[in-house]
Amino acid sequence: MPTQTMLFVLLLMLMGGLYHIIPGLTRPDLFFAVTVAPAFRGSSDAQRMLGRYRAMVWMTTLVASWLELAAGLAVAAVLLAALGYLGALVSTNRAARAYAAAPSSILEVDLAMPQESLPGGLVVAVLPVLFLGGLGLWVGFHWDRLPQRFPVHWGIHGANRWVTTTPTTVFGFLAMLAFMCLLVAGLAWGIVHRTRRISTAGAGAAGERHFRRLMVQLLIVSGYFLVFPAWFTLFHPATAAMNAWGLALAAVILAFTVNLMRGGQGGSRVTVAAGAAPVGDRTPDACWKWGLFYVNPEDPSILIEKRFGVGYTFNFGNRWTWVVLATLLLPVAAGLILLR
Amino acid sequence: MILRIDLKSPVPVYRQIVDAIRILLVSGELNPGDSLPPVRRLALDLGVHFNTVAEAYRTLEEEGWLEIGRRSGARVVSRAVPNRCDPETGEAFQRRLREMAAEVEAHGFPRNRIARELRRLADNLERS
Repeated sequence: MPTQTMLFVLLLMLMGGLYHIIPGLTRPDLFFAVTVAPAFRGSSDAQRMLGRYRAMVWMTTLVASWLELAAGLAVAAVLLAALGYLGALVSTNRAARAYAAAPSSILEVDLAMPQESLPGGLVVAVLPVLFLGGLGLWVGFHWDRLPQRFPVHWGIHGANRWVTTTPTTVFGFLAMLAFMCLLVAGLAWGIVHRTRRISTAGAGAAGERHFRRLMVQLLIVSGYFLVFPAWFTLFHPATAAMNAWGLALAAVILAFTVNLMRGGQGGSRVTVAAGAAPVGDRTPDACWKWGLFYVNPEDPSILIEKRFGVGYTFNFGNRWTWVVLATLLLPVAAGLILLR
Repeated sequence: MILRIDLKSPVPVYRQIVDAIRILLVSGELNPGDSLPPVRRLALDLGVHFNTVAEAYRTLEEEGWLEIGRRSGARVVSRAVPNRCDPETGEAFQRRLREMAAEVEAHGFPRNRIARELRRLADNLERS
């Protein structure tokens, strides 16, 4: 069996495993993005719904794997997996709505809660952008040291797409990476300054602070990892170096992911372990479309805790979300088109 | 120092924020020199519009409790309390107490419990 097929099937199995465990990572009074009584998760109705969802997830994973193994239809397998997982989630979300509990109308904030900031300050977050800017300047003054062409895409066996070295391709490539670094730095800033803190005191608040810090650190570290491809591709396009970079990145992401999962969404597992009462995520159920997309024009948050999964999603009801998305994604799309 | 608001309450959210912070100020939990969270931070944590919190802070500034700086945010300042209460304020206070008692009684609160709560409040006020 070709290595690529094996890796593809392994990735599908990993996705299946991830979707299998995700329902257990959300806040305890949320079940498939619906506010429920905290004891509901243990009920036979909840277990039946969870079992049905997991059966759909694994059925999807197996059929998608078969598509790749038997017919080599990778694109069809990816599409089927995406639709299957989405279908499993949406149908279970609909079923769970019958058990929805009225969310608390009480909102609490600790006025003495410490202000949060980016670890190391804004400079640490934007340093990769500054480095890429410096690299761009250096390249401008040492154009003769660049190779005739440089790789812009890598597979398992090394570089598989090259472009001729021209000012457009080199600076376009650097600009695209700089924008991606800005994107992750912006997301880190957004989590610190434009998201809601839910737990007000005690172990819950401490767990949530730890969770938020981990998310921000993961984003900032990702920004630093984005700098290396620029260096490798322009000066040392060695497969071994690129593979080592890929493995290191995977290891870092895995370490952060395991840590985040141990804490649960918003550090909620810490709250439960400490015996504190869960407080949901303080967003109205009606604003969650399919349990995945949050659309609430009344909410000033741009980023909000996901109800399904671990991390944050956008508030698509906030017009600033669309401004931010357009500002950050258009240059990346332009860069990709430019490097084709 | 917990600020608590009820979205189901008929009292507007900005008024609830003003009332809750004023209780903390009067009780001495917030003292001159203390800082309050920036408008945006408090609005995000409560999930209400920025203007709601800004309006609440402005009301407290007008009452002389806060000083709002563009960069420094909202800070508690020492406030000169009038020595004598004017008769209108006294009458308004009595009227509000009666209205509030009638409102909670209409919601099924027993009279003896209302009286007990008022006595407890009076005891706390005399002790402080």
